[in-house]
Parts: sequence; structure tokens; C-alpha cells
Amino acid sequence: MSGRIGRRAFLGRAMAGMGAAALAGCGAGGPLPAGSGSTLESTWGDPTGDGRLRVLAGEPLIARAELSAPAADVGVLATFAHLTDAHVLDASSPARVPFLRRLGPPFTSTFRPQESLTAQVLEGALTAVRALGAELVVQGGDLLDNDQGNELSQARSVLAGGIVTPGSGPHRYYGVQLASDPDPFYYRPDVDAPRHPGLLQAAVRPFLARGLGLPWVPVLGDHDILVAGELVPTPVTRALAVGDRALWELPPGLTLPPGFRLQATSSPDGPPAPGSVHEFLIRALAGPTVRVPVDLTRRQLTAGEVVAELRTAAAPTSTRTGDRLDYAVDVGERVRLIVLDLARRGGGSGGLVVAGQPAWLAGQLAQAGGQWLIIVSHQPLAESAAGGELLSLLDRSPQVLATLCGHTHRNRIAPRATAAGGYWQIETASLIDYPQQARALRIVATAGGGVAIRTWMLDHVGYGPLGRISRELAYLDAEGGRPQGFGGGRLDRNVVLYRRAAVRS
Amino acid sequence: MSAPRSALALALEGLRARRRRAVLSGLGIAVAAATLSVSVVIGYGLGTGFHRATAAAGLPDVIVRFDPQAAPRVAARIAALPDVARYALRLEVTNVGIGARGHQRGDAVAEVLDAPGTHQGYAVLSGHDLGDRGSDVLVEQGLASAWGLALGDPFYVDGLGPQRVVGFAEGPDDVGYPLGKPRFYLSRPAIDAQLGAQADPRVDLAEIWLRNPAYLSEVLVQARATSFGLHDIRFATRSGLRILIDQAAGIVIDLLVALSLIALMTAGVMLAVSARAEVQRRLGAIGVRRAVGATRAYLTVAHALEATLVALPAASLGVLLGGLATVAPAGRLETMLNEPAPRWALAGPLLLAWLAAVLIPSAGAAWPAWRAAGRPVARLLRGADVASSGAGATTRGGVPGSSPRLRGGLVALGARMVAARRARLAVTIATLGLSAAFVLLLLALASELSSLETDPGALGKRYALTAALPPSAAARVRRIPGVLAAAPRYEVQGADSFDLGETIDVIAYPGDHTTFEAPALVSGRRLRGGREAEVGAGLATALGLTEGSTLALALADGSELRLRVAGVVSSLDDDGRVAYIPASALLGPEPAAPSAIAVVLAPGADVSTVLAALTRLGAAPTPVSTAVGRGVPLVDVLRTILRAIAIVDGLVCLYALVQACALTVQERRPAVAVMRAGGGGVGAIVRLLAGAALAIVTPAAVIGVLLERGVLGPALSHLAESYATLPLGAGPAEILAVLAGLALVAAVAVVSVALDAAREPVIRGLAT
Amino acid sequence: MSVLEARSLVKTIGTGRALRTLLDGVSLSVGPGELVAVLGRSGSGKSTLLHLLGGLDHPDAGQISVAGEELTGRGRRRLPAIRMRHIGFVFQQFHLIDELTGAENVLLPTRLPGAPAGGARRAAELIERLGLEPVTAHRPHELSGGEQQRFALARALVNGPELILADEPTGSLDVENGDAVLGLLRDLPRRAVVIVTHEPDTAAIADRVLRLAGGQLLADGRGP
Repeated sequence: MSGRIGRRAFLGRAMAGMGAAALAGCGAGGPLPAGSGSTLESTWGDPTGDGRLRVLAGEPLIARAELSAPAADVGVLATFAHLTDAHVLDASSPARVPFLRRLGPPFTSTFRPQESLTAQVLEGALTAVRALGAELVVQGGDLLDNDQGNELSQARSVLAGGIVTPGSGPHRYYGVQLASDPDPFYYRPDVDAPRHPGLLQAAVRPFLARGLGLPWVPVLGDHDILVAGELVPTPVTRALAVGDRALWELPPGLTLPPGFRLQATSSPDGPPAPGSVHEFLIRALAGPTVRVPVDLTRRQLTAGEVVAELRTAAAPTSTRTGDRLDYAVDVGERVRLIVLDLARRGGGSGGLVVAGQPAWLAGQLAQAGGQWLIIVSHQPLAESAAGGELLSLLDRSPQVLATLCGHTHRNRIAPRATAAGGYWQIETASLIDYPQQARALRIVATAGGGVAIRTWMLDHVGYGPLGRISRELAYLDAEGGRPQGFGGGRLDRNVVLYRRAAVRS
Repeated sequence: MSAPRSALALALEGLRARRRRAVLSGLGIAVAAATLSVSVVIGYGLGTGFHRATAAAGLPDVIVRFDPQAAPRVAARIAALPDVARYALRLEVTNVGIGARGHQRGDAVAEVLDAPGTHQGYAVLSGHDLGDRGSDVLVEQGLASAWGLALGDPFYVDGLGPQRVVGFAEGPDDVGYPLGKPRFYLSRPAIDAQLGAQADPRVDLAEIWLRNPAYLSEVLVQARATSFGLHDIRFATRSGLRILIDQAAGIVIDLLVALSLIALMTAGVMLAVSARAEVQRRLGAIGVRRAVGATRAYLTVAHALEATLVALPAASLGVLLGGLATVAPAGRLETMLNEPAPRWALAGPLLLAWLAAVLIPSAGAAWPAWRAAGRPVARLLRGADVASSGAGATTRGGVPGSSPRLRGGLVALGARMVAARRARLAVTIATLGLSAAFVLLLLALASELSSLETDPGALGKRYALTAALPPSAAARVRRIPGVLAAAPRYEVQGADSFDLGETIDVIAYPGDHTTFEAPALVSGRRLRGGREAEVGAGLATALGLTEGSTLALALADGSELRLRVAGVVSSLDDDGRVAYIPASALLGPEPAAPSAIAVVLAPGADVSTVLAALTRLGAAPTPVSTAVGRGVPLVDVLRTILRAIAIVDGLVCLYALVQACALTVQERRPAVAVMRAGGGGVGAIVRLLAGAALAIVTPAAVIGVLLERGVLGPALSHLAESYATLPLGAGPAEILAVLAGLALVAAVAVVSVALDAAREPVIRGLAT
Repeated sequence: MSVLEARSLVKTIGTGRALRTLLDGVSLSVGPGELVAVLGRSGSGKSTLLHLLGGLDHPDAGQISVAGEELTGRGRRRLPAIRMRHIGFVFQQFHLIDELTGAENVLLPTRLPGAPAGGARRAAELIERLGLEPVTAHRPHELSGGEQQRFALARALVNGPELILADEPTGSLDVENGDAVLGLLRDLPRRAVVIVTHEPDTAAIADRVLRLAGGQLLADGRGP
């Protein structure tokens, strides 16, 4: 654990601590969560399996020696955070298809009971990240949920600091979770258990975001540029977004398209199937719709617009320009992050390696010199189209320390043994689904020239009940992260990942 | 002699000296004790039956029923729910033909268990549970009792052939035969072993046990949210089941518990009053003993002991008789409800009842004795303050010179004598009035039950048959001779959008539904127009609906109807969780809603002709089976228990009147003696006591009628409203019957006390 | 002809070692218009004798007849009727019923089943004769002792009995009221009156005084 705590970080911790105290004051008795959000100090868990989350003791780091024997630390090389899949969301947008969720996977990402609280959860995650004392934050993709302009501006406000106004339209919230909605498949906080009367009004109340206060770099995810993470905006979807008709109810008689099989996949988004979503939309529009207030800020953005905005907001070192976000950035002197843009410009949620990317990656690998490399993408390389090709490249590089991605919304760490020394494949959970965590990574040099990644999860912390409620709802969600095991096992969370010294062939 | 022994000796002497009165007191205590034990058996036994059943059977926290699904699919959905401790799946097959010991039924329910032997929400009462092999069957206790089955008996199941009864079970999630359908349990692994594993095994019922039952609502929300694709979903929670079973038993349990509580109060009052009266009688004797030096404590103990010596055998007898009278019918009722008989669990409460029946009279004797013994001795020696009780009555101004008159004669005198003790008169009138109201209520209920059995119209169903024909066939059916009206009757299962776990039977007719079904209107009016609904009282009560509020009906496919509630009706169907809506409102979202043609027969129509005609049209006509038909055995049990309570209550009335007459004679001994000395025989005493009895019975009768019609009847009707319309205001016939009963009881009391008084030597009364 | 005829009355009380003979062959005859006083100490059995004479108790041996009606050997049902028609009682404690007025108390025997007709008229006459008109509407607790005893006397007379039995009629009265009552008893025409008392002054008004002692009824030395 680093002994250096800057004044900012200290204040951040103090604020979080006070917030936690305030939270505890209005919450139930019992142990308080750590003000830093670090799961080394405390975690949220349900040891009895009765559906209620409790604060539990922290999880200490466990050594993983599958690639190399543990060795003593000799010095910190870099500290950064991986914060991914925030899915900052406009729950009042008419360009959503929440009714698809009840069909089951792969549509479970179209609605979540806690979806009105994404901005607050992001703010809470930033609080934990600030307490970490990181040098850099990797925003791992799917910062937005539905490729909307107001989603992007709200997310940027949270990251930059300032007044954040969640929601949209004159009511700020006008969506399927209203108490007047009789549809029992949606969680309505005013009437369904656990009841949280007034939650929707609280969720859209403007709040002051402190801002990350640290450099951050973006990764492009499918939801950042595609409607529902699948669909390139079409005239239909664009009109829907800024129109006054919303699709709340499942059209009667709506069934799955012929040949379409519901299937569970490793990611909530499922395999790329933009056509199916489009078809549902068309059929749904033919059915009953609800009149909703118009808000032009819901405008759907092009991929180029999103990339440009992210580039502006963040401060990446870009070695590739244009509308692609492939770049490399150094964290400290000895660690370099190589960020890959696998988002499909043509639609579809899965990753796609485009022409030229392998060559570009190969070039980056060759330039690495003595730096340790971490390859960052939104989607896992192994599940991306032509991702195998990139993996082959990585397999041959002795400097590759790890791959880091999101998209699956689950904590997972698997070793990939190679002749070159092997590397770790790290996935980080999302902020929207349970467990709603970010990941801290500290690269340390070890004796003998090797290196270790100390990584642990960060729980979001807030100074109000909204974050706690979001976590509670996310946990209860029978189609969410809990039953799907997104939290991962102990070996997927707080671990020390050893890697021996690079041997150049 | 030590003080306690001396007190005991005094108590025994008192008993010897007043043997008759001791017997009378004892009878009163026995009656009260009988009432107490009836209350215990019914109230405790039936009242805790569901709890015992659920504990014994390990009733799940939620039972979900749905259309048959692949077991792994259901398992996956359940595994995703929070707070699930464990679950069990089964296939519930209805309308299975069974036969055993010469009996046969075609409507049995077979529970095919996926994993037998594990905790499955039923309790094995005898024999053993099912295993993975063998042609074994577990039979529900109610069915076993009704058919006289024994362990090892052959049990024939359609489609499986002969099986063997290996055990008897009680599953509290439904009522037992004959109240419900006959039910038995099979093991799927065993069937697979016999017939080969099925390619695609299905389940349609899931039992879920929660780690934290307090989180039930949250689990139901999640269950509902993930239930898309399942049809005919019904959630049943423990509290919901409780309501279901309680309502299936109709008002019986609530009614009996309420009645037994009233009887309990009456008995308690009676005991206390008679104990106090006893002390009042003996004020003189208490005074004398105090005058010669007896301590307050000594006299109190002696009185208490005397009362205890009487109460001990009396209470034992009473508790025993009361228990015996009700244990058997209560047990039959419990079997029907799939609840285990309390057996030894009753011992504790009965013991408490016995203790109360002993301690109340003892305390009731000790306390006034203590107070009386604390008064100045001179006052005590003056005896009962009868002379002064008449004080306060103003001198009547007579007209000098006019002929003197004794208005009302001996009868009026008797009334005036009993009225001299105002407090006691009031209590006696109250006791009698309460008992009379009670019996009136029982009579009103009994006559209502008879009407339920003989008049299906009382339940609102006017159609006699349904025919499985498409809606378009209604016109053809109407043309059949003997058919008064025919229309498609749509029925679907809906759910309320805001309260998971409440399923609603949605019934729709085109046009006026009251031709076919007209359950009694509790409030509001009949529905008019296309966007209105009539809701059952059970549903209205559960959801707080009244006329004018909005009902949001979620149909199983997630679509929703919003209708304005026009009125609330009482209906037995689906325990009152029913909504009548216009067909136009239903067919919009559900154009393929299931329906059958409901057929109302013309008066005097030949049913078989109509049936034949319907069959020729291709229908499979089904006669309406009302809940009453199923409830006949229930009604029988209810009648038996009501009879027992009524008898006990009648005894309470008799005792109260005898007590009042005897006390009157006792306290006015000198007056009675003078009257007898002056030539009054038994007849004179009878007239005197008749007056006393009239003074009690007349206001008591009025109070009883008013109480029943104004309070008890409406209260019980309200209790029952979600079950049936039971107008429980006593009618003229019942009132006359109770008045006659009171008159008879009064006559018996008067004559018996008069005869007893006439046997006493006159001089004893004069010597006082 | 005697109104009251009692022959060889024997009455014992108690059992075993507590056996006592109260009356041992007592005989008595009282004619119409005659007033007989029976003197005796407390516990001498004079009240018992009176009860026997009035049919309120049964002798162990002997016969009693009143106005020609045999009392002894009669069933329980017949005795009240005989008492109603032929015997009137006056007690020391008056035994008036407190719920009734004085007049109503007098009327009580006329309302018994089998009472002779004209009771209301006779009651009115008696109330007037005994000077009780001003207080007819009063309750017993509002009357003086003398008034109460006069009402009791009127009650005893209302059905026109031939025999009046008075048990210590002046025992609860002061001298003046007692004398008044005794005077009334003495002036009853054609009635046989038997008074039992322990006071010689009370016995002084009698035509004949008998003394009960040792179970025997003897003539007392004193006479009118």
C-alpha cells in the first residue's frame, strides 16, 4: 500500500469517510463500509444468502503464481484504476426498448431496476478512485448506454466536476418505472418491494460532482456509439430519440423472430445481432406507444462525434487519429497502456478487429523496449472477431504483462501461459450491474527482474443513500450480476499476479 | 388444630350444610368449564391448525404454479432469485382416475415429485415417504380417512395401474378431501423406473423456501419480473394460503373461534357472579364468626377452600365433557383442512382451562369474602341488606279511601323482588341476553347453511351448465328447447399489477352478466359500459378497492387492462378474487381468451334433453359444481359443532335462571315462609318465581334480539363476506324459537326451584 | 265446638345423645272468641307448639284439628290450603315484604291461588278498623313498629281465618304499641286466638293462661 497520500486524496478520503458516517447514521447499525471504497478494507457481501447485502471484512490480496513464482516487491512502477461500463443512462429516453428485457438473455441489458442511478454510481466510483491515489484512470468503454448526446454530456460533467443534472425532459424522469405504470415486469420503486418512495425524483435531482481530478483515458465501447449497444442509429431510431413516442409495453403477440434463439452469453449484450433489435423496434413501433415529453438533447451521436468528444475530454496520447481510438499512453516510466478500439462501426455489440489493427499493434509491441505492456480494449480479445490474431501477436511478446477489458461486466482473471512468459487476462466488472465495482491496479517490480500486478476492487462510495440503493437493487435483480456470477471468485478480485522477468528471444 | 386444617374443616362443614347449593354451584362451574374447553378445542385447535400444519409439513414460503415447463428451465429461473434456501419441483396432474377399496374418483390430483424424500411441503403422518423405486403412492390423510384406506392397500391410478399405499400425508397448501379434490403423491424417479424416463420431463409447480421469509415481497417482485414466458402463473404465499384455507373452511374457523370466545366470556361472568352471590348469602354467618374472633384471612381461606372443593370435580367433569363433545368434529374439520389434530398440544390449554374453572370460582369466593369480612361486624350481623335495598323507592301516594290493590299480584311481586338486587339483575340479564343472542346467531347460521345446500342461487350462479363450444355457437345453443339463455363465458387468469401474488379470476360476458352470474352486490352497482368491472369482495378487501377506484389487471402475457370498479360483489369463486368485466374489454387484449358457453335453463326444463342436444352440437357439457357441493361435509361438521355449542349455551341460560330464582328464594326466605305460612303452596311460589324469571327473561330476550340483529349478525356477515353472502340477521322463526326456548328454560328453572323451596320446612324460613 | 283441638302432642328434636323432648303429650282446646296465652321460658318449646298448631310442622305423635279440619296426617299439598282458609299467623318480626306497601302486604294472602273472594274488600275494612288508613301507602321501613305489627295482624285476618296464632306479637314493640296490639287481638270477635309469649304481662290479657314447662302444658295459677 502506498504511503504517499496527496492532500487531494486525503481530503477525498475524509469526505468519503464523513459521507460513510452520514450514511451509517441514516442506515442500519452494523459495521461501516470503508470510506475509501477499497475492498481490501471492507466488502459488501451476503454470507447467509438471504438477499441482503452487508458490510463484511475486507479481502486481503491472494498471490497467484500460475505464471511465475511469487517474489518480493522492490518498488512501485505505476498505479492506475480501471473503471468500465458505467452506462450513464437517460432512463426517460424514448429510444429505449426496456420491454425486451423480459424475453431473457441476450436482452437483459435493455432494462435494469437501478438504471436511473448510473450518474450517482459513477460519481461514487470516482470518489473511490480518488482515494486510491492513482496516476491515471482508464475509462474502459460503455461510458454511455444508448449513444445519446445528453448521456455523454452528463458523463463528462461527472468526470470533469460540476453540476450534474441526470435525466431528461421537463419531468427529468418520465419512464417505465413510474408508479402509474401497471406493468409488473418493471421494478417501480414506489410500489414494488423493496419500496423506495421518491427514488425516481431523488435520482434526477441535480448534484455536485467533484470531478475525477486525475488524468483519464477513454476506451470506445459498443454502447458508446450504437443504440442499445447493437444498432447504428437509423432515421427511425434518431426520430425516436428526439420524438414524443416511447415503447414501454411489450406489444401483444410479440414473439421472437423465427430462428432466433434466446441464449445466455458471457456478456449481457450477447452476440452481435443488430438486425434482431431493429426488427423488434419496427414491430414494437407498430404496437401501443406512450406519449412522452420531447427532449432534443437526446440526440443520437455518430461514432465520429463520440470519439471526438472523448478525445477532447480526456487526454490521451494518440498515435492514431481520425475516428478511431487506438493509441498508447505511458503510466510512469516502465508501464505502457496500448488501447485498442474494437467497437463495430457497422453495428453489433461484439468486438471487431479491423484491417490495419494487427499491424498497428505489432508496431506498438516492437516499440515497447523495456516497458511492460498492458493491452486495453473494451471487449475481450478472445471473444472479438479476429481477436485471435491479436492474441497471437501478444503471445509472442515477452513484454506483454496483461490484457485488460470490460464489456463482460464480470471480474475474471485468467493466466495465459506462453513461451514468452505468459500474461494475465483481466476483466473488470461494470458499474451498472452488480457488483458495481472498479479495479485498482498497482504494478510493482519484483526481485529478479520480474513484475507483479497488485489488483483489488473498489466499491463506489457516496454520501447519500442512492448508491447503496443502486447496489441493493442490482444485487436483487434476478437477471443481473448476482445470478450470473459477475462478481467472480476470490481469485478474480483481490490478487497479486506474478510475472517473471522478460526473456528476450 | 392448625389454621389451615381448621379452615378446611370449616369449608367441609359448609359443604355438608349446603349440599344442594354446592351441587348447584358445581353444575354451574361444570357448564362454564365445558364452555371453556369447547373454546379451547375449537379456538386453539382450529385457530393454530394452519401453523401446526405448516410447521409439520415445512410449508414453503412461496408456491408457484404455471403451465408445464421443462424442469431445467424452471430451475434456472428459481436459482436466479435472491434469498432462496431451497426449492422443489413437481408436476401436478389433475383429473386423474383413481380407485381403492371399492371407491372411485375421476378428479383426483396427482403430485408427481421430482425429488421425493426431500422436504416437499407435506408431512408424512404414518407409513413412510416415497423413494426412487417401487410402485408406491402417498395418499392424503383426508382421502385415506374418507375411503378407509390402510397402509399397504392397493391403489389404482389411471395410466399407471395398481400402486401400493405406503404412507399418509397432509399437505397444508390445500384443503383435503372431501373439501378439496382427492390428492396423492407419486415419485417421478420411480415412475421413470417403471415406465422409462420421459424425453422431456415437465413440471408445473415449484415450491420455494426462503432463507429469510421477511424478504418475501422482494422475492415475489423478482419472480414476477422473470416469469415471462410462463403462463397461468399463480403465486401462493403462506399468508395467502392461510387466507385460502381459512376461506375454504368458509367462515367456520373464525365463526367458531368468535363464538367460543363469547361463550367463554359468558362463562367467566357467570362463575364470578355466582361466587359473589354465595358470599352475599352468608354475610350473617361471616359476621358471627368474625364476632367470635375468626380472622379475615381464615374466613377468606375457608370460603376459597369451599369453592375449590366444589370446583375441582365440577371443572374436571366440565372440561372433559366439553372436550369430548367437540374434539371429534373439530378433528374431522382439521383433517379436511389438511391440518394435523393438536392431540397432546391441547393438553396444556385444556389444563389452563381447567385451572381457570377452578381458580375463578375460588377467587370469586375469596375476594368478596375478604371484603365482606373486613366490614364492621354489626353490619354483617344485620345480614343481607335486603331491607335497605328497597330503600330509595319513593312512597307511593295512595288515594285514601280507595280500595287497596296489589298490582300484578304475586308475579309482579316476584319481579320486584329480583329487581331489588339491581347489579345482579343487570348481570343476569346481560348473561342471558348474550346467550340468547348467541343462540339466535347459531340458529340464523344453521338456517343459512341449509339454504346454501339447497339453493345454489344463493351463491350467484344462475347458469347450470357450460358447454365447450366456440363463442359463435351461442346463438345455436340458445335455440335448444329448454335453454333460457346462453352466452360465451370467458375466463382467464389475471393478476393485479401492483401486488404480486394476487391472482384474479377474470370472468367476462358479452352484455349483461347478471343473467348468468349474479353474486350478491355488496356495494356500488352493476357494471355498465365497456370500461367497468365488478370485483369480488375478497379481491376488493385485499387491494383496498371500492366503487370508483381503478383496477389494473395484468394478464398473464404482461398486457394490462385498466377498468373502473363499479361495484363489489361477494363470490365464492377463487375465494372472492374475481373480477367481472365486459367481454369487449377482455377480447381487445386477449382475442383468444378461453371461453365456454354458459347455459341458463328455463324453469322446469329437462336437463337431460338439453345435455343431449349440446352433445350433438359437439360440446362436452359440464354441470356447474358450486363450492357448496364440495362443502356439504364441511357443513355437516359445522352443524355438529354448532349443536354442541348451542347445547352448552342453553345450559348457561338454564343455570343463570336457576341461579337467579334460587338466590331470590334464598334471600327472601322470610317473605316466602310467611307467604307459605299464610297458605301459599307450590303454586304461589311458582307465580312468585315466574315474576322473577319474567323480569330477567323479557329484557334479556329484547337485548338478545337487538344484539344479534344489530351487532353479532352483521359482524359475522362481514367476516364471511369474502366467502359468501350470509345474511345472519335472525328471522321471525328463529326469534320465536329462541323466545320459546327461553320460556322453556325459565319454566324449568322456576318449577324446579319452586319445588325445591316447597320442600323446605316453613319454620326454617321463619326462623331467619 | 272448639276451633282448635290438639291431643297428646309429642315433639322431639335432635338425635342420639342430643335428643330432647320438647312436647310430651300436650293437649289443648280453644273455642271461638277465646284468647289463650301460652307462657314459657326461651327454649321451652312454645314456638314449636305454635308451629305444630298452625300446621307448619308435624308432631311425632298426637292429633291436631282446626275448624274441624284434621291437620295431622295431611299431605304437604293440603296443609297450605287449610292454613289459608282457617289460620292466620302473627310473628314477632312482623315479616312484612319490603317491596310492598302496607296495604299490599295485607292483600298478599288474598292473591294466593285458592284464596276466597272479596279479599280486597276485607282488606280495606281491616285497614280502616285497625286505624291504618293514613299510612296504607307507606313501605314497611317507613312505618313504626306498631304500625307494622298492625299491618301484619290485618294480613293474618284478611282471609277470615277462625284461628289466629301469634308468636311473641309484642316482642319487638314498646309498651304502648304492644298494648295496642294486644288490645286488637283481644277484641277479635269469634276468633280463637293463641298467643305464645315469655312475658307474663302479655299473658295477662288472656282468658286462659297456660304454662309450658318440661314438655307439659299446665294451667297457670294466675287467671283473669
